[in-house]
Amino acid sequence: MSLSRQRRFVTPGPDETVEELALRAMPDDPVPEAVDRIKSWNLHIFAMRRPPGLLLGSDVVFVEPPLS
Amino acid sequence: MFDVIVRGGLVVDGSGTPGFRGDVGIKDGRIAAVGKVEGEARTIVEAGGRVVAPGFIDPHTHFDVQLLWDGAARPALEHGVTCIVPGNCSLSLAPIRAPDRQRVVGMFQQIEEMPPEAFTTAFDWNWEDFAGYRAAIEKSLSINVAPLVGHSVIRLWVMGPASQERAATSEEITAMQALLRECLDAGAVGLSTSFVDVDENGRPVPSRFAQFEELDALSAVLGEYGRMLQVVPEFYATDITIARIDQLAELSLKHNIPTTFSPLFDTMAVPDNATRAIARVEEHFARGARVWPQMQTRPIDISFSLLRPSLFFARWPRWVRVLRQPLDARETALRDPETVAKLIADTGPDGGEHSMGRLIARGGDACPPELVGKTLSEIAKIRGQAPAQALIDLSLENGLDVAFLSASQGHQMTDRIGPMLANDLVHIGASDGGAHLSSFSTYGDTGYLFSEFVRKAGAMSLEKAVAKITGETADIWGLKDRGRLQPGLAADVVVFDPEHIGRGEERPAFDMPGDGMRYVRSAEGIDTVLVNGEVAYTAGAYTDARAGKVCV
Amino acid sequence: MSEAVIVSAEIVAGHDGSAELLVRLRHPNGVEGPIVLDEETGLKLMRNCGATHVDDLAGQSWRRILEEN
Repeated sequence: MSLSRQRRFVTPGPDETVEELALRAMPDDPVPEAVDRIKSWNLHIFAMRRPPGLLLGSDVVFVEPPLS
Repeated sequence: MFDVIVRGGLVVDGSGTPGFRGDVGIKDGRIAAVGKVEGEARTIVEAGGRVVAPGFIDPHTHFDVQLLWDGAARPALEHGVTCIVPGNCSLSLAPIRAPDRQRVVGMFQQIEEMPPEAFTTAFDWNWEDFAGYRAAIEKSLSINVAPLVGHSVIRLWVMGPASQERAATSEEITAMQALLRECLDAGAVGLSTSFVDVDENGRPVPSRFAQFEELDALSAVLGEYGRMLQVVPEFYATDITIARIDQLAELSLKHNIPTTFSPLFDTMAVPDNATRAIARVEEHFARGARVWPQMQTRPIDISFSLLRPSLFFARWPRWVRVLRQPLDARETALRDPETVAKLIADTGPDGGEHSMGRLIARGGDACPPELVGKTLSEIAKIRGQAPAQALIDLSLENGLDVAFLSASQGHQMTDRIGPMLANDLVHIGASDGGAHLSSFSTYGDTGYLFSEFVRKAGAMSLEKAVAKITGETADIWGLKDRGRLQPGLAADVVVFDPEHIGRGEERPAFDMPGDGMRYVRSAEGIDTVLVNGEVAYTAGAYTDARAGKVCV
Repeated sequence: MSEAVIVSAEIVAGHDGSAELLVRLRHPNGVEGPIVLDEETGLKLMRNCGATHVDDLAGQSWRRILEEN
């Protein structure tokens, strides 16, 4: 049985920064814009994380907006 | 000669099949006969008019610490629970090296709200490994325990402080695998991990620093034993929950292990949250994966006091502004007639009757005992005040340490939740027993299943409800000796009144070490509970039986 | 619309008995998605936006959620 399409995500690599992750996940986009979009799609990470900006290996990082 | 015969009840055996009038004979801690049981017994338990069922299994608890001085995990046992699964959410009390204890205590306190005395005076912490913890609790168990081992403590053992700083090396992952094997050999029922928990400083717990490859490697070890992986995912975030379900399904298929995530909530704020998650689970089960969503039966309450700002007041910004001030300034503002008049006006022309009147004053803090359990509306009438004024004055008179409860603010729609709980792929659990001690009671969810979803709503049959929290739970967790009234299996039995079983009223109790407070619920409608063939609770009282065991 | 904006917010019960703020964002593709903010972050967002009611958060940029005090 095939799975229905769901929102795409990646998990951060060891010590990977959001910029590096953006470059990996969205290589065709300019990094600043890609970072901006990733933040807006992943406020569960960027709004409340202590310390701020820390990416964790177990994080689910969406690389596209919510699907309709 | 039997040891015990439970005679003349409606036998609901945990399989989901229709109940029948009959007896249950018990010998040497095991069920020896079911049906019409002839012969004598040292103890007869009369069960006429009652249901005789397998003891309930609670798969999501945090009784790890309490078990060290209370082998009954009170009040879980009196609610008919004969087997608990502690060690959820990546935290267990072993394996932990002695120098790391304080670090883990901080994490436990964040989740359990256990007073510090629980860790310093209530028991002698003389073990480091999992076998040592098992030996420590087994001395006086009257309830059965199927303990998970926590990913965070495994990580901490292998990596030390770096467990909360970085990814593991391949050597460290290999060491974690070996340690997990040791724990499984010592009786762990599986591994728990967390994607949301933080320590007392707000820093993510160690398990959250793991790469997926680390979880994959640990799951490979679980696969060697066929054991469970439990995770706690992000709340109310459906897309993330589905991503977690996908990760679990991948691990389940690859390593042939059962997995479970808890909790899954229903909420009108995200009305498709639970239904989408369950639909995803169904897709994965159809592929052969085992990803069990755990759903609790009880609704969620909001609790607050004026000691700190709460979003409960978010609709009234003036309240937020006042409550956000330092304590002295806050009290000064709450004593200022002009400010108070505005605060009261903000709550509506009825002085807060509509918006606050149904709040319930809670005990366990500085609330005068005679007001505990009363609504703010009732308190206001007694005082001859508007409800908002009464809330302010009552709080000021008691150092602001009066807690109020706004009941059933989430996961409260019985007509929506009933069918979900009845779904064959939804695992009833997520009670959090032994956690959130000073916030709300985490006991009696099994009674609530019967009172709300069987008796009141008719969402499932009595037999189905019993099976969900006994036989099906045992199957999900691989507890081969539990969950059914079947000859040869362990004699964990609960005798209850189907017309009166319930979760009981919430009340404060001061039975934690250091006279620490927690909210509890006493059992309703439970006559007798047997654990491994011995009567552990009957006629409203616990016995001296200590027949519980680590039952993995 | 070129970036996500808040379309609504409401108080929800957190699993631990706290009140949390569930904010719904509409993304540039027109699809809405929720984010749950803890008590501290939710109150900070309201303060930063000068919101006198949770309904006042509607129309605010998603960036306000990341603003410090």
